[in-house]
Amino acid sequence: MGFFLELVINNLSIKGIADRRMGNTNSDHPENILTKVASGDPKAFDELIRKYGNLVWSIARRYLSNTDEAEDAVQEIFVSLWQSAARFDPSKASEITYISMITRRRLIDSLRKNKKHKLLTSIEDVSYGNFLSQKSTLEQDAEISLVIEALSKLEIQDREILSLSIYQGYSHLEIAKLMNLPLGTVKTKIRRNLMKIRDSINRVNKGVKNLYYG
Amino acid sequence: MVNKNKEEQTLMELLALSALEHLSFEDEQKLAQLLTKYPEFTKDEFTKTTALSQTSFYLKDDTANETLPNEVRKKIIQSYDSKFNENNNVPVFTLNRLFKSLLKPKYAWSITFMLLVGLSYSMIMFKTYESNHRYLPLKRMVLQNTAEDLLQYPWYARTSDLTLIKGNVIWSNNKQKGFITISGMPINDSSQNQYQIWIVDPIKYLNPVDGGVFDITTVEKDVIIPINPKLPVSNAKGFAITLEQPGGVVVSSQPLLLTAPKERPQQKI
Repeated sequence: MGFFLELVINNLSIKGIADRRMGNTNSDHPENILTKVASGDPKAFDELIRKYGNLVWSIARRYLSNTDEAEDAVQEIFVSLWQSAARFDPSKASEITYISMITRRRLIDSLRKNKKHKLLTSIEDVSYGNFLSQKSTLEQDAEISLVIEALSKLEIQDREILSLSIYQGYSHLEIAKLMNLPLGTVKTKIRRNLMKIRDSINRVNKGVKNLYYG
Repeated sequence: MVNKNKEEQTLMELLALSALEHLSFEDEQKLAQLLTKYPEFTKDEFTKTTALSQTSFYLKDDTANETLPNEVRKKIIQSYDSKFNENNNVPVFTLNRLFKSLLKPKYAWSITFMLLVGLSYSMIMFKTYESNHRYLPLKRMVLQNTAEDLLQYPWYARTSDLTLIKGNVIWSNNKQKGFITISGMPINDSSQNQYQIWIVDPIKYLNPVDGGVFDITTVEKDVIIPINPKLPVSNAKGFAITLEQPGGVVVSSQPLLLTAPKERPQQKI
C-alpha cells in the first residue's frame, strides 16, 4: 500500500500536499503571494495580478455574458482576494485552489445578479499573450493535476457537459437543449462526474495523510 | 435501504446543483431537510471540486489565451490603492488624534464624561440584553453555536397565498430559547391583529404553548423574532404561526398560517 501511494505521489506531483500536511510550507512555497498580500505588501498585489490575472480574466470571459460584466467581476474578485488574503491557510489548500474558489464564488454571484447568459458565440476582442509557461506552472499544482487527470478519464460527452456547466456557466436546462439530451440525463451525468472528481481528490489526499501519519 | 439510497442520491443531486446554479425555493427546502438528516455532508460538498474543475478546464483550453487588458488591470490597482489607503490612513489618523487628546489636560474632563456615558450605556444594554430586540442576528448566532440540543426546522406554508415565504425556526429545549427567521410574510396592522408563535410540546401540554406575538413591518428583508415561551417547554416537536387579536390569545382557534414540524408535512397545499 505504501509503495502504491509513493507511486501515486510521484506520478501526480502531489508531494506538495504531503509537505503542506507535514508543515513544510515555507521552505517549499517561498512564492506564496497571498500571505505577502495579507501582510500589506503593495508589491505583492501587483504580483498576484501578474500571476493570476490572465486566468481570472479568461475564466470570467467564458462564464459571463459580456466584457463589461467580466471587467466588474474581475475587479471584485481581486478586491475580494485582497480582503480575504489573511484567511488563506497554506496548510489547508494551495494558493491556486483558494483563488479558484474565490473566483468561482464571485462569478456565480455575478451571473445571478445579471440573470442572463451569453449566447454560444466565440470570444471576441481577444488579446493574445505568452501563456504556455504560465499555464504549465499552474498545472503543476497537486490538486489541479488530480482534477485534470480525473477530467481526462471522463467520456468526451460527459466532459463537454461539465465544461458547459462549470466553465461556461450554462444551466442544466440550457445544456439539455444544446446537446439535445433529457434534462434528467444531464443532471445525472453532472452529479456522477462531479462525485468521481471529488472522490479522486479525496482518495489521494486521504492516502497521503495515511502514508505520513499511519 | 432503497429509500435511503434514493434520498442520498437526491441529496447529491441537490448539492451538485447548488454548486452550479441557483436552487429553486422547493429545492432549497428539500436540501436543508436532507442536510439535517445527513449531517456528514455540508452545502459546500462540491464547491472545491467545481472551482478546481473550472480552473482545470481553463488550463486545458487551447483557445483561452486572453491577457488581462491593461485598462482592467489599472482599474483593479486603482481600486486596491484607494481601499488600501482608506484602511491604512483612517485608523492611524483617528488613533493619533485620540492619543493626542488624551494627553492634553484641557480635554481630560470631557473624555472622562464621555467614558462615563459610554459605561452607563453599556450597563443599561447589558441589563436589558435578553429583553431588547437589538443584536438579534448576534443572539441567534450565539444560540446556534452554543446549544447542544439545537433544533432547526424550515417553515412550511399552510395556505396557498404564503407559499413564497422563506425562513426557519431554531430552538433549544435546554436553554428555553429560540428564534424564528422569516421573509416575505405579509405586513400586519398591529391595531387589528398580530402574528402569534406557538410551540408544540404534546407530551407536556394538551394545547400548544404561547411563544409570543410579533408584527411584520417589512417584506423586503429577513426578520428575526425571539421566541418567548409563556410556559417551560420540555420537548418541542414543532412550531406554528397564527394571526390573532392584538396581544395574542391563550388557546388559538384561528387557522395555521405556517408550521415548522420535525417531519415535512405530507399534505400539499
